[in-house]
Amino acid sequence: MKKKIGVYVCHCGGNISDYVDIEKVKDAVRDEADVFLVKNTLFACADSSQKMMEEDIKTQGLDAMVVASCSPKLHLNTFRGVAQRAGLNPYNYVQVNIREQDSWAHSDNPAGATEKAIQLVKAGIARAKESEALTSMKIATTNAVAVIGAGVGGMRTALGLADMGTEVYLIEKSFFVGGRTAQWGSVAPTNDRGDVLTAGLFNEIQKRSNIKLFTGAELIEKTGSVGNFDIKVKIHPRGFDGTATADDIQKAVKACPVSTTDEFNFGLTQRTAILTPQKGQYPQQPAIDKALCNQCGACQKINSAFQPASTNEEILTLHIGGFVANTGFDPYEPAKGEYGYGEIDNVITLPQLKRLIELNDNELVFKGKKVKKIAYIYCVGSRQDDDEGKNKYCSRYCCTSATHTGVTVKNKYKDILNYHFNRGIRTYGKAELIYGQASQQGDVFLQFTLDSIPQVERKHNKTYVKVKDILTAGKTIETDADLVVLVTGMVPRENVKLGHLLKIPEGRDHFFNEIHMKLKPVETVIDGVMIAGTSQAPKNILETLNSSMAAAAKVNSVLTKGELSLEPTLAKVNPGACTWCGKCAEACPFDAIVQVDNEGKMVAKVNESNCKGCGMCTPVCPTDAIDLDGFTNAQIGAMIDALAEL
Amino acid sequence: MALIQPDLTKELKKYGAFDFNACYNCGTCTSVCTLSTEDNSFPREMVRYSVLGLEDDLKSSLKPWLCYYCGQCTENCPQEASPGELMMSLRRWLTAKYDWTGLSGLFYKSWPLTVLGFILILAAELGFAARLHFHIDRIMYYGHYFEMFSILGVFTIILLPNIIRMWYFTILKRKIKAPIKAYYTAISDLVVHMFTQKRSLDCDDNQFRWFEHFILVIGYLSLLFTTVFLNWFETHNLFINILGYVESIVIFVVTFDFVNSRIKKNKEMNKFSQPSDWFFVIWLFLMGVTAFVVRLFIDLNLIETNSWAYLFHLMILGQWALIIVPFGKWTHFLYRSFGMYFAKIEELAK
Ligand SMILES: Cc1cc2nc3c(=O)[nH]c(=O)nc-3n(C[C@H](O)[C@H](O)[C@H](O)COP(=O)(O)OP(=O)(O)OC[C@H]3O[C@@H](n4cnc5c(N)ncnc54)[C@H](O)[C@@H]3O)c2cc1C
Ligand code: SF4
Ligand code: SF4
Ligand code: SF4
Ligand code: SF4
Repeated sequence: MKKKIGVYVCHCGGNISDYVDIEKVKDAVRDEADVFLVKNTLFACADSSQKMMEEDIKTQGLDAMVVASCSPKLHLNTFRGVAQRAGLNPYNYVQVNIREQDSWAHSDNPAGATEKAIQLVKAGIARAKESEALTSMKIATTNAVAVIGAGVGGMRTALGLADMGTEVYLIEKSFFVGGRTAQWGSVAPTNDRGDVLTAGLFNEIQKRSNIKLFTGAELIEKTGSVGNFDIKVKIHPRGFDGTATADDIQKAVKACPVSTTDEFNFGLTQRTAILTPQKGQYPQQPAIDKALCNQCGACQKINSAFQPASTNEEILTLHIGGFVANTGFDPYEPAKGEYGYGEIDNVITLPQLKRLIELNDNELVFKGKKVKKIAYIYCVGSRQDDDEGKNKYCSRYCCTSATHTGVTVKNKYKDILNYHFNRGIRTYGKAELIYGQASQQGDVFLQFTLDSIPQVERKHNKTYVKVKDILTAGKTIETDADLVVLVTGMVPRENVKLGHLLKIPEGRDHFFNEIHMKLKPVETVIDGVMIAGTSQAPKNILETLNSSMAAAAKVNSVLTKGELSLEPTLAKVNPGACTWCGKCAEACPFDAIVQVDNEGKMVAKVNESNCKGCGMCTPVCPTDAIDLDGFTNAQIGAMIDALAEL
Repeated sequence: MALIQPDLTKELKKYGAFDFNACYNCGTCTSVCTLSTEDNSFPREMVRYSVLGLEDDLKSSLKPWLCYYCGQCTENCPQEASPGELMMSLRRWLTAKYDWTGLSGLFYKSWPLTVLGFILILAAELGFAARLHFHIDRIMYYGHYFEMFSILGVFTIILLPNIIRMWYFTILKRKIKAPIKAYYTAISDLVVHMFTQKRSLDCDDNQFRWFEHFILVIGYLSLLFTTVFLNWFETHNLFINILGYVESIVIFVVTFDFVNSRIKKNKEMNKFSQPSDWFFVIWLFLMGVTAFVVRLFIDLNLIETNSWAYLFHLMILGQWALIIVPFGKWTHFLYRSFGMYFAKIEELAK
């Protein structure tokens, strides 16, 4: 119990005192038990006021302090600092908000506002009386980060971290780095090639000794908390060890009897069980797709570097301080029959067209037929209607990429005609120039609304697209097309396991969710876990890299000091009263409560580095065995009593 | 339902249109056009039809004839899609579509073909003159008959059927049911527009240009009347003689100014002259000058010794009457007036 409490009531210029009668408040609390002094300040946060409070604490020996002023969001730390500098524990300081919650809210009723201020200050005094000194825990941190995913985003995160002196484990699930960008050939808005971009990033990674790259690797276990995570990474056998000439690799691929659709080319071509690196994918070493390999040994006969039978899975144990998830996106896969997809054979997706362009040098040929007219249907899998499970967001990259692809095909192959069936072109920023270029070169843009989407149909042995074109006063306009390209949006990669392991919350759109889109754009509610790139939302390459570098800077700033202080407002269990009913453990959203044996009795225990002090556990305990430091039952009870006393 | 026809879009470019596919449908052109109305709004709609190549919609539209090419739209288009020049090209293209002989289209698309036509006419004239042993009196005698018959022939064989085709495309095919009375009522519009081009006053704040145009039309039509029906070259009536002089002076002075502004490209409409535009103004100018010179030589008794002057005049006349009038830019004057006439009928039918 505190016996010498100092109370300061702030005018905040006139923000408070114009509506709240400060003298009345002071008079009302002056005689409260244990209140040692009551003062008013014109601006409590002003240097002179802070000095005065420090003096009071030191010379009068105050053991608790209350400032009735603005929101704690604004100045809690200011006055905690005052307390600390004067030798008072910062947790013996209580802030009462009589501005946002009182004078501003009740500017029409000064008498009522004054009355409310008195109540609030009394409750604050009651809380201060019950306050206890708390010390925050310092933990040592490890300046090492696991970056999950090695697309352009993950590689850039890794480089950023490495250059700031952080040890990086770059963990890539597939056998090659590069992600989606390696697949695209020419990319907007700069016209450089995706594979050249990934090659450049990979080269830089090779130069950094503090980046350890693991391919064919996945995170399988995680324990610990920010600053100190212990993780396990499983490394799948590559099935290739040593060297082989390009000729041998080619022969081995020929010899492999397995055949399946090649996902790199989105099913346009077939591949064997031997995965060969494509342009822009690294390392440039083959790997064996274990799931398909039938162990026939044909490849090994050509070169012993191929080891189809190898099963030496490796499990690495690593100690790190934080994570950055750069796990990327998948292109939306249209439903069978969506705009004729899967039913009409010349209906493909934009990712497929991008690959087709890479596979065709002089003439654009699809299924043996020369392509002259291309119809693009925009917003497929994006900006869908309000039905449950539909994607309501705009995928951002696709208007730009589709118009850019239109320009690319027209430049690369002669006499191609492009028809863009869109819902309003969103080539924001510099990409507007690409839209201009597409228009200039004669691409035709037709616009529709969600109420009347284009119809794709097959007649007279040709594929037709027709639409009610807004730009032609709603007239139905039709064209035949050699290729109908569905401009598919972005969806998050299927990553349930990782999401569960790292406990990253998902948004309604199923992308990973940051704390605040604007103010904390790469941090998650899990301390030490950042997200970046397209794992978080649809983004183009530039935006992916921006967020990746932001995440690198953010996680580095947490770990680089070598230690971390934890808020002391933590839950604690009284083992005597605890009967281990398990209710608190169930209520805790951060898995901070574990069951332990306490002298032969099973009780709850709080893992302090996981506890966030949210307070979910305390009200559910039937025996009041769990309490939250800084917000104890005694404090909250005293406040309620003070407020109820009229 | 309408099918996109990229070939038509390409075809329109051969008639002089360019860059119109850069249009992003903002509608600025329509909003700045002083002649566009709520019921008859253009040129954006025409640009759109052209981008998509909607032949039927274009062929049945009267809107290109409602535009007087002030160039406001082109000046204000943020995409530099030149909608004004597209409207001009559509007029050329429509002329070709109305023409049952198909020659208009060929002449528009190929100036060498036009020149070939001119040469053939010159050859025919020289052949004819040779048969008359270059006897100037007899040449002038037949020349006058040629004038009369060519006017009659061109009108009945070419222009009248073409106007009927225009009516078929723009009124009948669009199933506009206009009462017979509307055809009478609208005649006043036809006459007023044909002779005064009153509508262009709304388009251009340059009253002088309208006035020049007006004077030229009146001058041209009266010179035609004076030479063909009052037989200027053979008249002894002083009044008719002086009238002819005045008319021919009016024509070559005004057309000289027109040629000059096309060379200077000082107005939007003059910036992109096609060969057909050049032929039109230059031949009109030459008609005025040569008619003037011929009559002057007659009055000074020089014609006997300078029969080339009449032969040159007759050549210009032949090329004008057999090529430029039926298949060239002259028809715009006619179709525009009928365009206005049909638009009025359409309005009355509503
Ligand atoms: C058709 C198309 C065309 C495009 N064109 C352009 C363009 O012209 N210009 C432009 O700027 N952008 C373009 N984009 C967007 C561009 O592809 C993305 O912005 C970029 O690829 C995002 O990079 P990323 O690193 O976030 O994700 P990704 O490229 O998807 O990389 C993610 C990586 O993470 C790995 N991964 C996933 N889950 C795990 C896991 N659990 N463990 C380990 N690793 C994992 C994946 O294997 C992959 O390598 C286009 C996109 C599409 C679909
Ligand atoms: S970027 Fe364009 S195509 Fe993609 S979802 Fe948005 S509006 Fe649709
Ligand atoms: S305070 Fe919140 S985080 Fe801490 S143990 Fe209780 S429920 Fe879990
Ligand atoms: S102003 Fe230009 S871009 Fe706008 S609608 Fe007219 S032609 Fe098209
Ligand atoms: S040139 Fe003038 S009259 Fe013709 S469409 Fe353009 S603005 Fe209208």
